[in-house]
Amino acid sequence: MIELNNVSKFYAGKPALDSVSLQLPQGEIVGLLGENGAGKTTLMKCILGFLPYRGTITLDGAPVTPANIARISFATCEHSFFPGLSPRGHGEFYAAHFPHFSHKRFAGLMDFFSLPMNRPLRSFSTGQQNQFEVIMALCQGADYILMDEPFAGNDIFNREDFYKVLLGILEPNETVVLSTHLIEEVSPFLSRAVLLRQGKIAGDVRLADLEEEGQDLISYIKQTYRYRPDRVSRALDDLTGEGDGP
Amino acid sequence: MTRPDLSRLAPPGLALKPEKQLFGWGMALSALFSLQFFTRFADAREKLYWKNGPQRELMEGAVMEDFRALLGPSLAGFLVLAVCLAALIGVHYAYHYHGSRSIYLMRRLPHRRELHRRCLTLPLAGIVLCLAAAFLVLCLFYLVYMTFTPEVCLAPGQWQKIWSVLP
Repeated sequence: MIELNNVSKFYAGKPALDSVSLQLPQGEIVGLLGENGAGKTTLMKCILGFLPYRGTITLDGAPVTPANIARISFATCEHSFFPGLSPRGHGEFYAAHFPHFSHKRFAGLMDFFSLPMNRPLRSFSTGQQNQFEVIMALCQGADYILMDEPFAGNDIFNREDFYKVLLGILEPNETVVLSTHLIEEVSPFLSRAVLLRQGKIAGDVRLADLEEEGQDLISYIKQTYRYRPDRVSRALDDLTGEGDGP
Repeated sequence: MTRPDLSRLAPPGLALKPEKQLFGWGMALSALFSLQFFTRFADAREKLYWKNGPQRELMEGAVMEDFRALLGPSLAGFLVLAVCLAALIGVHYAYHYHGSRSIYLMRRLPHRRELHRRCLTLPLAGIVLCLAAAFLVLCLFYLVYMTFTPEVCLAPGQWQKIWSVLP
């Protein structure tokens, strides 16, 4: 289990994460949701040890260090592959560094998405690069797969294919933490949703519980964020002056 | 004999050909530049003699210019190349931020020194080779100086004088 205890991160004195406590057990597909700047990316980077932070983050009770970091993989919209290296080269590099790298899954996913094995990644389209980024995160052999807006730039068909493949190939011990804005799209695949707002946990809910209550994720989010449905019409009225009385 | 796979010592996917070319050309030009020593040596040696008709005779009391002075900037090419190779270290680290953020992958490898190993090994090896070549050339020039300078014209302590520039 990944456990965050009172994790805080400040940028120039402003809190990006404010005393976040969270448990991520194995075998879940967790949606990390929130508006831009809510702290989703910062949270993932803190887990991976890319950023210094206050508080504690542990993986099965131990701090995240090179000794256990192979149990966490990361796919990011910024991309973490080597642009000049081919997928085959990446496969060899991962196999050399990650003891549980799955050659079978790698070959299967490369084949499924029809990605060329021997061309450098810089020659791929953005959509293909996103696919490859996620493929590597899925093939590393990690127990925890962190994905930060991995599908930015992919078309809807591509994304749907990926969700289906994701559900199909995940082992029971694998946890996916998916940060995305595509809430409606991912909600059928999530088992849990964690809502971040201004660096704090604004909500943490199991989708099965929501279903039992007859609520969907979007309405839960709107309720949690105290979304005002009349916000747009009031703003338009203000802008156009139509709401002004005589 | 198989050639060593240098790509395993460099940032993954980095094109090594330009770096190999830089090193090769740098070494060749540095060696070429160092040859100016022979011109200065020949001039200084010529000044030890006076012409007596068709014959050359050693001037009495003539002293050969110091080796260090004749060496001049002959080895500067190697030093410039070593500085360029040191700058290459920065290029290797910057590579992980260019076109993607492969630094994220390098920083979450179980082998914590992999990033540094791949960024430092080749430039440092190049610097060592460069300095070794400069030392070899220095020794060769010294040998030439000591062999072809008339013994009576040699000022003592030439080898020590080379290193007197060091603190």
